[in-house]
Amino acid sequence: MSDPSILAALTARLALLSSISFGGFPTVLPDVRHFVVVAHGWVTDQEFTNYFALAQSIPGPNMILMMSFVGWKVWGLPGALASAVATFGPPCTIYFASYSLWDRFRDARWQETVRRGLVPVTIGLVIASGTVMARAADVDWQAAAVTIAAATLMLSTRLNPLWMLLAGGTLGGLGLL
Amino acid sequence: MSKPDIKQSYPEHPSLAAVSIAFLKVSLYGIGGGGGLVWARRITVDQQRWISEQDFADIVSLCQFMPGPNIVGIAVCVGTRLRGAIGAVAAVSGFLLIPWTIGFIVGVLCLQHAQNPVLQHILGGISAAAAGLLVATGLRMMLPHRGSPAAVIFASLGFLLMALAKLPLLIVLIGLAPLSIAAAGFQIARAR
Repeated sequence: MSDPSILAALTARLALLSSISFGGFPTVLPDVRHFVVVAHGWVTDQEFTNYFALAQSIPGPNMILMMSFVGWKVWGLPGALASAVATFGPPCTIYFASYSLWDRFRDARWQETVRRGLVPVTIGLVIASGTVMARAADVDWQAAAVTIAAATLMLSTRLNPLWMLLAGGTLGGLGLL
Repeated sequence: MSKPDIKQSYPEHPSLAAVSIAFLKVSLYGIGGGGGLVWARRITVDQQRWISEQDFADIVSLCQFMPGPNIVGIAVCVGTRLRGAIGAVAAVSGFLLIPWTIGFIVGVLCLQHAQNPVLQHILGGISAAAAGLLVATGLRMMLPHRGSPAAVIFASLGFLLMALAKLPLLIVLIGLAPLSIAAAGFQIARAR
């Protein structure tokens, strides 16, 4: 595993995939899995699944962390760092270029139309991701009650949402969910 | 190039350290897919009042169309809006440097141990609450648009197609965006 060409191949593939991950990095996870598990056998299927679950439950940039775990397994610390940079570097450049362009036409009439059309669809998708997450997390009625309580409290009070996360974690840890 | 405009539109721009710390919080508080969005909105719109609800919704829309982790895109765009290119660097560094280091160390340690059932239950409870927070954030973002029937219809369609029909996000976006933009164009033309 100390062949530098392996490190280069992994980094190049992640940079390519992150540049085409329209709709968020999870959309290219199947391609990443195919590359590192099926095509090269650098990571086992079980390891790949563990990395995903772990990255989802650690606060922070979860997809970047997941790719860092893959890089760590393949090429140690340099692999982890290179994979992280390959995952966020190219998209950051694209985000910056497109936002600067968008901002330059801020007052154009067409932008007002595009904005008014796009924003509602976006909001619908945000609410949908919440319910998709809820479906995965709400394994029983108690967990569903936690989800509903958190949503209601956030909408109706100024309470810091960290309290709701803490309450959810405590109830779960006590075995009540 | 467009930097002077950005500064003009927001004369009281925050310090780079403040931008960096704000996104450090977004990163550390946001657990699970979409968790960062809850905090990005709460901190930049509700608490600091750096950007308006509309600007935030705009940025989220733009990021959904671009490749890469959307929440990193939100950091880049909000940073750019507040302080130009250097603001984007501040936001992304705040978002990544410390959280990545902590997360990576914790992760590598966790991977060396077997899956602990108590830990799994705690994480399960946190995920359930986090899902509720994400739904509430979406509903909050919808509040300014609740008076527009077209906005309500297209938000509901986006929700139904992704949550119930389980279509991929990008497909829903490409399918609905032209219709929704056309409806908005029609509405604007009629209002004039």
